[in-house]
Amino acid sequence: MMSQIQSNIPQRQSLQGNQACALGAIAAGCRLFAGYPITPSSEIAERMSKELPRVDGVFVQMEDEIASMAAVLGASMGGVKSMTATSGPGFSLKQEHIGYGIQAEVPCVVINVMRGGPSTGMPTRPAQGDVMQSRWGTHGDHPAIVLTPSSVQEIYTQTITAFNFSEIYRIPVVVLYDEAIGHLVDTVDLPNPESIKINNRKWADGPAEDYEPYAPDADGIPPMPLPGDGYRTHTTGLTHLESGFPTQVPEEVTRVTSRLLNKIELHRDAIEQYELSCCDDADILVVAFGITARASERAVNNARAGGIKAGLLRLVTLWPFPERILQQLVERASHVLVPEMNAGQLILEVERLCPDSTPVSGVNKFDGDPIHPDEILAKIEELADE
Amino acid sequence: MNKKQKSNTGGYEIRLSGTGGQGLGLSGKMLAAALSDEGLHVAQSQSYEPTSRGGMSRSDLVVTPQTADYPLATGLDYLVILDTRAMSISDGMINTDAVVLVDEELVPEPPKGDFKVHALPLSKKAISLGNLRVTNVVSLGALIALGDICSLRTLEAAIERITPKKYAQMNLDAVRAGFELAAH
Amino acid sequence: MSEMAAPLTPAQKSTDQFEIRDYLRLDLFPHFLCPGCGHGIALRALLWAIHDLDIEKDQLAVVSGIGCSGRLSAYIDANTFHTTHGRPLAFATGLKLARPDLHVIVITGDGDCLAIGGNHLIHAARRNLDITCIMLNNEVYGMTGGQVSPTTSLDRFTTTTPLGNQEPGFDACALATGAGATFVGREVTLQTTALKILMQEGIVHRGFSFVEVISDCTEIYGRKNDLGSSPEMVLSQKRSVLPKFDGSAVDKPFRAGNWDTGVLLRKERPEYYEAYRAHCHRVLGDGKSK
Repeated sequence: MMSQIQSNIPQRQSLQGNQACALGAIAAGCRLFAGYPITPSSEIAERMSKELPRVDGVFVQMEDEIASMAAVLGASMGGVKSMTATSGPGFSLKQEHIGYGIQAEVPCVVINVMRGGPSTGMPTRPAQGDVMQSRWGTHGDHPAIVLTPSSVQEIYTQTITAFNFSEIYRIPVVVLYDEAIGHLVDTVDLPNPESIKINNRKWADGPAEDYEPYAPDADGIPPMPLPGDGYRTHTTGLTHLESGFPTQVPEEVTRVTSRLLNKIELHRDAIEQYELSCCDDADILVVAFGITARASERAVNNARAGGIKAGLLRLVTLWPFPERILQQLVERASHVLVPEMNAGQLILEVERLCPDSTPVSGVNKFDGDPIHPDEILAKIEELADE
Repeated sequence: MNKKQKSNTGGYEIRLSGTGGQGLGLSGKMLAAALSDEGLHVAQSQSYEPTSRGGMSRSDLVVTPQTADYPLATGLDYLVILDTRAMSISDGMINTDAVVLVDEELVPEPPKGDFKVHALPLSKKAISLGNLRVTNVVSLGALIALGDICSLRTLEAAIERITPKKYAQMNLDAVRAGFELAAH
Repeated sequence: MSEMAAPLTPAQKSTDQFEIRDYLRLDLFPHFLCPGCGHGIALRALLWAIHDLDIEKDQLAVVSGIGCSGRLSAYIDANTFHTTHGRPLAFATGLKLARPDLHVIVITGDGDCLAIGGNHLIHAARRNLDITCIMLNNEVYGMTGGQVSPTTSLDRFTTTTPLGNQEPGFDACALATGAGATFVGREVTLQTTALKILMQEGIVHRGFSFVEVISDCTEIYGRKNDLGSSPEMVLSQKRSVLPKFDGSAVDKPFRAGNWDTGVLLRKERPEYYEAYRAHCHRVLGDGKSK
């Protein structure tokens, strides 16, 4: 289920996670970046400011986080792929506009390099405390797509996937990773640009007369009108009809909001990405993402070396949560372990999906240090002894 | 929590530590470039704090034949300490038989354990070369002489590639001086 | 990316051909504005200016925020974007940078532009991106029921100043001027022709232009303050203006009853997008490679 971006000609280089994000965005066709400096994500903006002028794109440092998100939406509504990058406090400030992007169905990508919180928290320290905010940060009922790379290489590929998903499903896509991965410099093999699969949004191409900008195709996604193409449509954050104009008629609101919610649900299979290791006969199933999944991988391998049947479900798509695979795996697993760098967020979703008979435990840490593989191993060993 | 588990991917871990301003990020980058040139995967992480001068500083390299399972340091095989302020961060992380290199003046009481400690006049050598600030590069030369990490030639080539021209010769002199200091 | 829109020349069409229905989405009528509201006149003046400038509707983008002013974009037969409270200038910045071929006009209000959106106004003015910002100033938050705004005159009653407003207001034109806008003007709705010409000049101007329209909220603000009906309100507005055709708005104390109107500032400064592109090409050369 991992997104496959084949590399024909490996372009090996030493690259920082945040730099890989910027290069992935450029490769995906991002041509406008609007941002605001914030630790630990600023290297993304810095690299974009260097790369965009070279591909006829535009970099703009806006006056604040809110304006950055607004400019990204404005650019995308003009037909140009766009992105912003931030961290906790900035992610909080962007929430209203993420909601606008969801409501008005504006494709774009938001990078959130997670640091310790709440509030200013620990700007230079990694955390995974935005699991629930990335899903429910903006108000109202809404769908969400959130991707969580766990390596420098995967930041590159998942940034591209984020653009592809945003274009296909017309939704802001969040790429969520922690400071540890964002600042890691690793040896990566960048794929040959020609081998990278790029998806672009469907453009409206029918007659302008009686055109309805939010009338969906069979896949639940309406093609997007390009300003200048003669459709002269209206875009609003108000709940709106297929025509694009507001409605408050209960039946109509139910219809259009249900379509908005279902359009991601409908495509779950294509959006859910994950990686399994040692899961076939796993009694103890570890569910993790990001740097914690890397620690879990070592812990699981060491547990196996010690004769414990442990397995790892590494989430690449965090939201929508890959429900079906978890439910399949817990049919066999006798215990589920959810290590995460927060006080217990992902575990809530895992618990919701597990039968009452399957106990779910956490390994939680929010002191600014990544979870050590041995801390996870110790918990696995403890569970195995039970 | 003192298991000092080795990485499962057959690699090793290097830590360059000291204080902010000693150029440990840069020397880590030099060494990483050299190791990459030898076909290895290098995951580099460093202390990342709002203050860039004066406090504890470290640059870690997790070196593996393929992408590391866990990219952050957990058990050190090579450790350089250039300031006592960086001592405690490696407590309990030094592997058995690890190579530990310290500056004999700046770290008068090096860590003790079942590993080999080499105390050398690294900063003194840098001063004799005319610039205390190349202590980081002197220590790199000494480290590769003490441990089987990479050849001097590979490291020199990497240093030449990533150093700005006007500092290249100074760094090349420093790495060679460090190498000779440890090889004697 | 697209090429920058070609410069416009004022008054390309004869004004007597103007038929407002050609520029409206008539199926949305009747409109939502209260009887006597000045915003409709401002909308007419804007559409008239667009007509006279011969701007193609397909190449026109109107971006609005939240509030009574924000609702106007929906009635315009163009590419219209009803965005979030206070942020239309930030949306418009992204839109214009992505699509410099479009004519981008922002419609905003005194609360939208000067309170929640104040930061975006000053930075849009500083950048000097080619956007026209039309701010409809009716001194009140009408959509939310009549609360005090950053331009409410002293001693006026609103739902949140039941004892009379004691906060000093903003002089929006001085603010835009101070922040670096290269075209600044103000007009009252009663002088519709003058307002149209002012908007036209603002749209033609290459850079950030700011036009403040002294509008009126008869239904809420007027009633609450015994200002009479709409004709009485606009006439009293007209009596309190000092027509002005040149010079700077800075250093003029803002007080009700002494509003300078007309073109208050016009100056040349590099337009943001053109300057960005030119600079990138100059530094990187044609190859754009490192």
